[in-house]
Amino acid sequence: MSLLEMSDISKAFNGVTVLSGVSLNVEKGEVHALLGENGAGKSTLMNILTGVYPKDTGTITFDGETIPAMTIPLSEQKGIAFVHQELNLFNDLTVCDNIFMGKEYVKRGGMLDKRKMMKEARELFNSLGVDIDPTETVSGLSASKKQLLEISKALFFNAKLLILDEPTTSLNNEEVDHLFSIVNGLKEQGTSFIFISHKMPEIFRISDRYTILRNGRFIETGKIADTTPEQVASKMVGEGFSAAAGSYTKRELGDVVLKLDHLSGEGFSDISLEARKGEVIGLTGLQGSGSSELLHSIFGVTRHTSGSILVHGQPVSGQGIHSAMKAGIALLPPNRKENSVLPDMTILENMVAAEHTLSGNKQHISVKRELEKYEKYHEMLSIKAESPLDPVISLSGGNQQKVFIARWLNTEADILLLDNPTQGIDIGAKAEIYHLIMELAKSGKTILINTLEIPELEKVADSCAVFYNGSIIKTLPHEEIDETTVMLYSTNAVDDNGGNNHE
Amino acid sequence: MNNAQAGSKKAGENILTFIGRHSYIVVFVLIFIVYMLTTSGLTWGGMMNIFRHSAVVGIIALGMGLICLTGEIDLSVGSMLAFDAGFSVVVFNKTGSIILTLLFALAFGVVCGLINGLLVGYIQMPAFIVTLATMLIYRSFAQYCCQRIDKVLLGGGSSVYKMSRKLPDGTELAAYQRMYNFGNGKIATLPIVGIILILLTILFVYISTSTKFGKKIYAVGSNTKGAQMAGINVAKVKVAVFVITGLLVGVSAFLWISMNASADPATTGNSYEMYAIAAVVLGGISMSGGKGRVLGIFFGALSYTVIDKIIVALKMDSLINNAIKGIILIIVIMVQIVGPKVRARFKK
Repeated sequence: MSLLEMSDISKAFNGVTVLSGVSLNVEKGEVHALLGENGAGKSTLMNILTGVYPKDTGTITFDGETIPAMTIPLSEQKGIAFVHQELNLFNDLTVCDNIFMGKEYVKRGGMLDKRKMMKEARELFNSLGVDIDPTETVSGLSASKKQLLEISKALFFNAKLLILDEPTTSLNNEEVDHLFSIVNGLKEQGTSFIFISHKMPEIFRISDRYTILRNGRFIETGKIADTTPEQVASKMVGEGFSAAAGSYTKRELGDVVLKLDHLSGEGFSDISLEARKGEVIGLTGLQGSGSSELLHSIFGVTRHTSGSILVHGQPVSGQGIHSAMKAGIALLPPNRKENSVLPDMTILENMVAAEHTLSGNKQHISVKRELEKYEKYHEMLSIKAESPLDPVISLSGGNQQKVFIARWLNTEADILLLDNPTQGIDIGAKAEIYHLIMELAKSGKTILINTLEIPELEKVADSCAVFYNGSIIKTLPHEEIDETTVMLYSTNAVDDNGGNNHE
Repeated sequence: MNNAQAGSKKAGENILTFIGRHSYIVVFVLIFIVYMLTTSGLTWGGMMNIFRHSAVVGIIALGMGLICLTGEIDLSVGSMLAFDAGFSVVVFNKTGSIILTLLFALAFGVVCGLINGLLVGYIQMPAFIVTLATMLIYRSFAQYCCQRIDKVLLGGGSSVYKMSRKLPDGTELAAYQRMYNFGNGKIATLPIVGIILILLTILFVYISTSTKFGKKIYAVGSNTKGAQMAGINVAKVKVAVFVITGLLVGVSAFLWISMNASADPATTGNSYEMYAIAAVVLGGISMSGGKGRVLGIFFGALSYTVIDKIIVALKMDSLINNAIKGIILIIVIMVQIVGPKVRARFKK
């Protein structure tokens, strides 16, 4: 018998249908992948399941009981736990405080029974094989431990169904392994999971079954074993998928534009690298291996301590973001919401923000000229927006990212540093971004792209620098970039680099 | 039937959207209607007086608005006004020059604002704490110096900075009358100080909507990290808004002594930081930064002056004044917060 049966669920906001006749069936003790592009209706469906939104039509049956009106407290009481992508933890409190928040044990007289809570927290972590000290402050935990804490917390209160929303975005491979082994262990004990992710390899590794949504409609459900990533991807995107593959074309490269000469700084050391006009260089490595830190330092967000950065043979004068921008360097930062989006401002204002800082002497804004520029990038990047004066947050993630690419193209930078440019955007938009990167390279831009997703690099990079522990441990030409090879180097499992792998 | 329903729904939605976006005009119109009803014999001169009495707070509030748009706050403006106005009186009594007095008032305001700005922008101290401290410091200095400065320079006042009709050497000062005429004069029935408020409002509406600097203010308030990563020098923008506010306090200080011919270090500008913040909030600017329109500040400041007039017209005890202002502030903000939720209901 199924643990969860959602059938014929429909939901409309302001007359716009976001879900129509969607069904989802989760068995006891399975990991069920819920797949679809951003905007396919996954979040809405999960919000209906956890009682955040009421459903318009359809039925929810959980654990054999039909629930006519789901609410947040009721879903918690029934044992449904939503582990959000942005974790809902109190950072300044201890692990133990977080587990028992609002449900503390109290001794007679109103005092908290700290000893009992601490004991049970320890037992909980022991039983799960999670190495977290309940007395530690949450802000001191790594991203993966926070994730595990959220899961542990849900299990402590007898969750039967856990919804994991992109749980691996901020985890490195080792941490992902650990998370998955815990998920597998819990599965054996009968806990069910709904797994939401954009990463195909993970989906195929951990899931038993899947359900695909597209544009608010139910497309297909089935066993993971009976399908392939390509089939799943094409069903998620619908028609027109396939352009993403094979967008790489070999090109003639120009002169050296960016040269890093023995550059050292926080998180990386002694990096030397040359990038030519029209070249795309991939940077990769485990999280914290220094590739992202290097890009931030080239852009002047953090200072480099020694070495130099040369653009067209000239050293960049001064440190700091403004100097880098004047030298023609642009950085598309990771975590769009935190580092790029100006949420109260319009699409146009977001697009021109960087250019404004370069031309500060002319204070007056010519709306007409800016609208002309908008039209140019609107067309060039095919940004799906109704009006440039709409708020930027009305756009989907992929289109927001295009706005920020336009922000930097608008500064006429020659060197584009892209840090995790496809983070949190759906497959269709990803393909467009790869295509765009290729086009920009052809038009003569020099591009450094940092990503943990190797298939991305296979599609765009002329070469790939693999980082390990703050240094480039190996540079692979385009032909040799593949997931296994890169992984071997980034975990320093290959011994062909002259003993560099012994710390 | 269905169509008509949809139509009325849409109309309701539009009205609510308009109220949500331009609440400051609605508030002002409502208060003004009450004023018209309560005042027997509404006169042109009476209405123009509203501008005159809104000028000082209104000009300070323009600066406060920019600071709030960056997500910061300045509690020191009231004390700064007293400090600046007091010392400007001393400069006037010493030099007898209107120009020097004006330049001093502006420069002194800039320095006071710069101190706040550097501490908030570059040292990255919380603005609330910094300006709370400078609020105490500026007021205290104003009062302390008033006791210590030569009585001649105080215009013979005790514990008040009074503008003098004569220079220390005994020559009559024509400038005294000219200052007074400036502060209390009118051009085509419009009070001069009111005209200055209107001109500065126009200038700051332009700066906030049509200049790169204006957009940077919004960007910093909207997402500080995002603004920094777009190349905006966040510290510089913050220093700039505090310095501009200091400059505007300088303008206000000059207007104040022109209108009153004196400055009392104990009472001048008392609670003005609160009135300025209230005008900013009433004008629809979010205290968390990034949202709102500078034009709203103008109407926010006018609204408060009209409330004063209503209380006078109703012959109510002026001590009830702040209670009424406070209640109106709560109601308006409540509407701003509850309004969108009601609007969402309408859409269903």
